[in-house]
Amino acid sequence: MAAQPKPLPVHQPSYLEGGGIAGWLTTIDHKRVAVMYLASALFFVAFGGLEAMAIRVQLWRPDNHALSAAIYNAFFTMHGTTMVFLVVMPLLLGFLGNFLIPLQIGARDVAFPRLNALSFWLALVAGILLHLGWIRGGLPDAGWFGYANLTERYFTPGLAVDWWVIGLLVSGTSTVLTGLNFLTTIIAMRAPGMTYMRMPMFIWAQLVTSILILIAFPPLTIGLIFLLFDRFFDTHFYVASAGATPILWQHLFWLFGHPEVYIMALPAFGIISEVIPTFSRKPLFGYPMMAYSVCLIAFLSYGVWGHHMFATGMGPVADSAFAITSMLIAIPTGVKVFSWIATVWGGSLRMTTAFYFALGMVLEFTIGGLSGIMHASAPLDLQQTDSYFVVAHFHYVLFGGVMFAILSAFYYWWPKISGRMLGERLGKWQFWTTVIGFNLTFFPMHILGLWGMPRRTYTYGADMGWTHLNQLETIGAFILGIAFLFFYINIFKSLISGERAPADPWDGRSLEWSTPSPPPAYNFATIPQIRGRDAWWILKYGRAGSRGVAAYMSGQAPSQPQAGEPAFVEGIHMPAPSIFPLVLSLGVGMMGLGLIIDWYRIILIGAAVVVLSVIGMGFEYADFGEESHDPEHAPSSGGIDVRKIGVWSFIGSECVFFASLISTFIVYKSRSLAGPGPKILNIPLTSFSTFILLMSSLLMVLALAATQRGDKRWARIWLGGTVAFGLIFLCGQVYEFTSFCHEGMGLTTNLFSQSFFVLVGFHGGHVAIGVIWLSVLLVAAMTGKLGRSRALSVELAGLYWHFVDVVWIIIFTLVYLMQAVPGA
Amino acid sequence: MTRRGTNRHSVAAVAMQVAIALAIAGCSAEDRPMTTLAPKSDLAQWIQNLYVEVTAWDAIILAIVVSAFVLAVFVFSSRVGEAAPASTASSDLGLEIAWTLGPTLVLLMISVPTIRTIFRSQPAIAPAGALEIKVIAHQWWWEFDYPDGAKTSNELHIPVKRPIRLLLESADIIHSFWVPQLGGKRDVVPGQINELTFVATIPGMYPGQCAEFCGLSHANMRFRTFVDSPDDFASWDRAQLAGPVATPASDLTASSGAKVFADSPCTTCHMIQGISKGYVGPDLTHFGSRTTLAAGVLKNTPENVAKWIQNPQEIKPGANMPALLLPGPKLNALVAYLESLK
Amino acid sequence: MSDFAEAHGAQVRHPGAATYLIIAAFLVVLTAMEITVFYVHALRPVLVPVLIVLAAAKFALVAMFYMHLKYDGWLLTGVFVFPMMIATVLLVSLLMLFAYLSNHMAPLG
Repeated sequence: MAAQPKPLPVHQPSYLEGGGIAGWLTTIDHKRVAVMYLASALFFVAFGGLEAMAIRVQLWRPDNHALSAAIYNAFFTMHGTTMVFLVVMPLLLGFLGNFLIPLQIGARDVAFPRLNALSFWLALVAGILLHLGWIRGGLPDAGWFGYANLTERYFTPGLAVDWWVIGLLVSGTSTVLTGLNFLTTIIAMRAPGMTYMRMPMFIWAQLVTSILILIAFPPLTIGLIFLLFDRFFDTHFYVASAGATPILWQHLFWLFGHPEVYIMALPAFGIISEVIPTFSRKPLFGYPMMAYSVCLIAFLSYGVWGHHMFATGMGPVADSAFAITSMLIAIPTGVKVFSWIATVWGGSLRMTTAFYFALGMVLEFTIGGLSGIMHASAPLDLQQTDSYFVVAHFHYVLFGGVMFAILSAFYYWWPKISGRMLGERLGKWQFWTTVIGFNLTFFPMHILGLWGMPRRTYTYGADMGWTHLNQLETIGAFILGIAFLFFYINIFKSLISGERAPADPWDGRSLEWSTPSPPPAYNFATIPQIRGRDAWWILKYGRAGSRGVAAYMSGQAPSQPQAGEPAFVEGIHMPAPSIFPLVLSLGVGMMGLGLIIDWYRIILIGAAVVVLSVIGMGFEYADFGEESHDPEHAPSSGGIDVRKIGVWSFIGSECVFFASLISTFIVYKSRSLAGPGPKILNIPLTSFSTFILLMSSLLMVLALAATQRGDKRWARIWLGGTVAFGLIFLCGQVYEFTSFCHEGMGLTTNLFSQSFFVLVGFHGGHVAIGVIWLSVLLVAAMTGKLGRSRALSVELAGLYWHFVDVVWIIIFTLVYLMQAVPGA
Repeated sequence: MTRRGTNRHSVAAVAMQVAIALAIAGCSAEDRPMTTLAPKSDLAQWIQNLYVEVTAWDAIILAIVVSAFVLAVFVFSSRVGEAAPASTASSDLGLEIAWTLGPTLVLLMISVPTIRTIFRSQPAIAPAGALEIKVIAHQWWWEFDYPDGAKTSNELHIPVKRPIRLLLESADIIHSFWVPQLGGKRDVVPGQINELTFVATIPGMYPGQCAEFCGLSHANMRFRTFVDSPDDFASWDRAQLAGPVATPASDLTASSGAKVFADSPCTTCHMIQGISKGYVGPDLTHFGSRTTLAAGVLKNTPENVAKWIQNPQEIKPGANMPALLLPGPKLNALVAYLESLK
Repeated sequence: MSDFAEAHGAQVRHPGAATYLIIAAFLVVLTAMEITVFYVHALRPVLVPVLIVLAAAKFALVAMFYMHLKYDGWLLTGVFVFPMMIATVLLVSLLMLFAYLSNHMAPLG
């Protein structure tokens, strides 16, 4: 039977209290991680905003000399990069997603708390790396989507673009880890009774966004890796004179870039779908269609990327296909706008600042979406792309849509997060200033674009007739600046002397409002049982569609039912803090810095720090490798351990990673101008390697079986055999690579060689990581630590190993056996 | 389409065009030379037609959304004074079907002319009688090579009412060729030949600009397109093919300027037919006849030429042309010589 | 597998060593077939489709048996298959787009 429950102390410490600085540096509490993301984003948004205002000052009049061309180009690059990667995504995912997902699904934390903290520290390292250009080498200045081949070292020498490449690689890693974390959390950690169709819409949005992250970031990673190789190792992935094409960068970038804007838009939609029902005192209209539309938007978002490339000459068939898919995506988006309005219709409205921003979002986003439809029509886009028209379009959807949603979310959830209310009066001032400033700045851009003003131009001619609208926009930008000043003041005042927030200030509908404001570290004293959509509303008023009249009319706050604060608390086991996420991130930072400033020893030290941290994290907890038995609720994933889901999610992402590499190989293999081609490949040797790798999978699966039945001896033998075969495979690769070099084919010889070495080399790198992983497990096995209860750790390593084998199956077929088949 | 339908369609189209023209107050092409709304070619006209159609639909949808929004927020909600919403209905199949099907139909209607225009504007082979001109984009200027051997920079001359097929190539990185009054833009990509095909309908001068960020002086990569009558074009073409205009011996300044040119590093990068063979910078054989210099940035006047030669980077940051820093008299002579090359 | 998972209806069946060995044998045979197709010149016309089918078969065998997907729920299969579909679409689209581009390349040199 359970131990004597302790009585609840009078004051439950919130998650914000205790631990000191060390507590924050080692925290893995999702709420603290969220607050750190917020602080970092509020810091970087000042940079991005000031850069925007400087841009507007320069554009005040024609032939202005406020900023030099070089600084201007750096500022618009950094403005875009900062806003996308260091502000909006961290706010939507790292801050709001992190804070709210566990609270809204009735969980105590995310699936992988240390990975969560790691995501934050990596994001911070990325932000610093992106800004180190201030100190040395200059800021990145090739645009936020850095088109090749301008980004080749020949055209943009110096460190500026190097900071950009490394910063984005680190930022991307951070985001992918977050996507993996959130996906697993939402799948596996929902409270009992919370089926998918009972989740808050914000959770639907985050679920789908997490999938998008996993499949959208790999092409960006590959594109950046190619650019890195071009800039550092003299390859020619984007150099036309070597037979390559800079268009490859555009495809890889936009395969990421378009889903990326939905990675930003979908959580924003999720926010609106939470705020509007609360302040209309009505359930969300058309919940099932809203859920399906979120899924459909995400799915379609992967098929529209070419609409960024209508001017590049893809041909009429491709142009038509992308035009159609781009128009299709407007349909589920329209469904959402109409459903939000239908939610407001007939509701009992409470006109709070949060609601104002949400309503404003709906209108501004609609305008942005309508200009998007114009862009979807390819021939029309040929006039509007690369002009101020598209600048208007994306600011309407990203600021008018996403930023308004973020501001709404802020006013809505700040009481829960900080325990204080934000001033409503200052909030309304901020709202109206924002609306005026925003529309004044960005609406005229539609007209300027139609009048032919190209984008990314540090100055313009006096005879073009663009001057007056530019001046209007500059004024608007300063008004926007003032609006943000109001925002910072409101936050500051709230923290110093803001009204203390009750648990449920807005009479909310979802579970986070059942916790104190701010919540304790463990979120819920007991995990609630979910009986329907709008779970908290049901707990308060008994039915999802009820009007909540009784308590409201009598002026009483609804009583807190059991899910809130029970009288007694059992010992709740929360995972312990860890220093590894911070240390690992520092190691990554060292590697990036060392590469850029040519300090090779730092790279090696950084790499060592990373490897040791990973191993340290693996064995940090006493129950490593054991399947978790949470006594409070079974995973909502049907019994599958969260770590298995995590590894499979990672594998899914890797599919897209390797597909990008393989596509490049096939496209480039026949484009070399000179030098060896696929005929150089040695089939007999590679066939032998293939057999070895296939057999290693057999050994791996036998090792797992042995571990699962507790046969330590055979587990060690099979595990050792897998490691051995892995090493033999690697030796085969090394032999193959060195013999190619002797035959005159090095990395930079020609397009075939570079595509081959990068593809097969990265696969080999994956094998090497697998060998290290298995060797660590082998050591654990040999020291008797890998008993039957820890079979999961062998299973996870096995999944990775088999995946690496499966990728080789594809490479062997497409690269080696199809060597005589011409490329694209 | 029946005649009545066509008439109604064109009346509506005209009404729409008027409305939009008024809405974007006073955008005559003289005031806004880079406007996309004053088509001077068949391609630009097709795009304009699409623009009118899509804008009309956008306006209708916006009106519907804004009205519904205003009604919902201000009219059909119960305000805070009332305790509860009028109803908590949260689904309505009819509505949901309507607002899915409605937009679908609208998009269908937009997609048909879209696809038609896509195919019409990208013919697989050059139209009969087309004049094919090679356009080579450099950082940060434009080179135009005609099939009969004429070469010029930054000022494109084309005959009116004859199909033009531009073959776009880049000498370095990605640029984008854009003359808004003549049609949409087309990127200029190294390693690839892109095409832009159109028929100019009205003679005139139409400014253009590079529309793909290409480094420091992307903003300074402008150019002009002159649509000439067939006779004007023919005489221009003849003049371009001819060698440089001989400097009259009486013009001492220009003659000594010719010597300055021949002795200076200019000859490494610039070609003047029969005198120098540089391919790095624009061809200067008929420099004096051009209306602008530095790729459309400055008007072609002696003061501006002098300013440019003395310090190109001040006008065009990052320009590859070195600052010559010639003494006054030599500079004047050089300028006079260059301006004499009509 | 744990009792806890069993209590919640998770699939528990594990193939035995015999199954693993049979799968391994299949993998070896399929690989041998692939190599044969490569070396037999008469089969060149059907090289691509045959290799794709054989590779897909090996892929499926490893995923279903060694990676246990056949015995796990639909969830993990979905988590794997969806990105794989996207990856395939990506590959095919890029090949088609670049095939068009090859016809518009500028002459080199």
